Formats: sequence, structure tokens, C-alpha cells
Amino acid sequence: MEFTLLGAVAVAVVTFGVTLWFEAGRTNPAGSSRRLGDAALAAALSGLLAGRLAAMVAGGNDPLAHPADIVVVRAGVDTGFAALAALAVLALYARHNLWRTLDCLAPAALAGLAAWHLSGLFRGAWLGTSSSLPWAVAQEGSTVTRHPVEVYAALGLLLGALALHLWKRRTPLPGIVGAAALVVASGVRLGTEPLRLGLGSGPDWWYAAGAALGMLLLGWRLTRPQSKPST
Amino acid sequence: MPRGWPGATPPLLSPTVRRYLIAALALTFLSAACGSAGVPPEGVSELPPTDYAAMSALLAASDRPVVLNVWASWCIPCRSEAPLLRRAHEESGDRVRFVGVAVRDDQEAARGFIAEFGLVNLEHYFDPSGSVPGGLGAAGVPHTFFFAPGGHLVHHHAGVIDEGALALQIDELLGREG
Repeated sequence: MEFTLLGAVAVAVVTFGVTLWFEAGRTNPAGSSRRLGDAALAAALSGLLAGRLAAMVAGGNDPLAHPADIVVVRAGVDTGFAALAALAVLALYARHNLWRTLDCLAPAALAGLAAWHLSGLFRGAWLGTSSSLPWAVAQEGSTVTRHPVEVYAALGLLLGALALHLWKRRTPLPGIVGAAALVVASGVRLGTEPLRLGLGSGPDWWYAAGAALGMLLLGWRLTRPQSKPST
Repeated sequence: MPRGWPGATPPLLSPTVRRYLIAALALTFLSAACGSAGVPPEGVSELPPTDYAAMSALLAASDRPVVLNVWASWCIPCRSEAPLLRRAHEESGDRVRFVGVAVRDDQEAARGFIAEFGLVNLEHYFDPSGSVPGGLGAAGVPHTFFFAPGGHLVHHHAGVIDEGALALQIDELLGREG
């Protein structure tokens, strides 16, 4: 048995939790971390389930005939369906104040995603297409140097998290930080996807759709007449 | 704290919804216990027997890189990685030889597995004693070995392989070929 995937999940969850804790009382309401963490946990687990089911169906593995296979998440999770399900559950969970909840979660979600990508370093899953750039890296025993693609993604997401944290201090209209986070997360994935190795066509259009949706939401929230913040 | 703020969200699930959720979970576990016994192995011919010596000879004689996957029909993770191997074969089967070795299995179940996951185009062998993974220093299933032409072992992945790792190691094999 190897537990690198579990370790990667733990690193991402801890980073998410620490960021929420750091923001509580600064850019998020004091004492909100627990409820926000619950909302994020419900969304993440629902996303994992939906993404795994979608990956099984796409791979020809019938979830009704082999329901125990659902827990083998290492074998693949469809990120598009996972993101959709997670957002739907989050919208349901935080339906009484969706925009503020998204704003509260946004930088922590980006930081957690960055940690997930960076954890590829100890999972042996951080290299992409071959490259001759000075910082390209070869895997052990190989002469082929490659893009450290997961490091690129992690850096992009970390910068995004920092920028959104600073933006949130200026208390913009509700929903703007959340929408911007969707643009950053989808954009980083879309931008790094050509440097990743995969089997057949990738799910690029999911990421393009996510970035477009984020930009639409951002435009809508920015052009909306200003109302009183709900806190 | 005002109503609706994340710190004051009301309970999401009512007791009735919780009961339905628990019932659905119980049904899922029940269906797992009574799950299908697999697909009939029609159209899949008898798998030729192999052992470590025969497999070593096959690898040494191969003029193409080889991806050797050790699997069993009773292995849950193997079912989950089978679609990846099929896709990898569809993409690079003309440049890389994909070999499957069914270990500690029975012929009918192994052939049923191949039929169910559409792995008929891959090369399969039957190793009931587990001599091939044993000789390669591996225990249990699944394992995926990556060999350069001539049988030089380049990489060994123990456990379920994911898409990125499989694609990377195949790219490494093809990169070595030049």
C-alpha cells in the first residue's frame, strides 16, 4: 500500500484550513471558520463522489455492478463533473448568503488547490511535456527534461489566493472575490493543460467554460448597482 | 451574527432527509454485496499460460517498449485502471506493446474481465501461480512495469496507476527510443 494520494489530500485540506483560520477576523467574520469548513467539506465530498461516478461511467465501469469501485478515487475523478457538483452543493448549503460565502471561501480554496498541485512533488506526478528550458527537470534515471507543470499551477494559484486576499481587504461588492477565484482556478488549469501529459483529448473545454462563467459572474457583480453589505 | 451568514447557517438536512440518505447508503452497500458476477467471456479466447522465464524471454525479444500490467479479475483497483490501459493502447499501441498478465485467477473470470472492459486488443497471458510478479520482485496486484526494447526495466509502478503517471511513463519509454 502507498499513501501518497492520502498525503496529498491531507496537505491540501490543512492548507485550506490554515488559510480559513488566518482570514477569520481579518477578511472573514470572526468565528466563521467552522461553518465555512463544513460547507467546503460537504462540497468537496459531493464533488469527489460525482467526479468518481462520471469517471467510472466514462471508462465503461458500471457503478451499479461494481459499487465498491467508487471508493477507488486514485483510478480517476472527472474534474469537470466534480467541480459542478461541488459548486451545486455549496450553493445549496450557503443558499442564505451565497455570494458572501463564496467570497469567504475563495482564497482558501485557491490556496488548498495550490497545495494539492504542489503535492505532486512527493507523489512523483509533477512533470509534464518535455522541455529544454533551463528549469526543466528530468525524472530519476531519465535524460528527458520536462516542464515542472504542477509547480507552475501551484504558483499561479498561490498568487491568485494572495491577490484575492488583498482585494478582499478593500471589501468589494459581494460575489466579486468568489467569481474572480473561479476565473483564476479555471484559467490556471486551462493555461497549464497543454503542458500536461494525458491519454487522448483532455477536458480543456470544462476549464474554458469555468473561466467564461467566472468572467460572466464577475461582470455581472461588478456592474450591479451597489447595495448595502449584508453584514 | 445575522441570519444567513456562514457562521449561522441553519442545519442543512432535516431528520427525514437524513433517514432517506441512510436508507440510500444501506441500499448501496446491499447492492455491492449482491453485485454482478461479471460479463460472460464470449469472444475472448483462452489466455495462454506464462511464467517468469517465459515472460523474461518475451520481454528480451521485444523490439518495442513494453507496458506490462499485472492484474486479476477479483482486484477492485484493476477494474478501475483497465479503462486507462485501453485508452493508452488506443493512443500508442502501434509504438508500445501492451501486455497483461492475469495472476491468481481462473480462466473464465479473467476472460470475462477482458470482455467487460474491452481489453481484447491487448496481449494477455495467464499466470495462476503469480510467478511473473514474483520474479520481478512484486507482490499483490495491480502492478505496472515499463520496459525498454530488449527487456530493460525502466520503471515499476506499484498499486493503481493514474492517467498522468501512465502517460508520463509511456512518454519516457518513447523518449528513450528517440
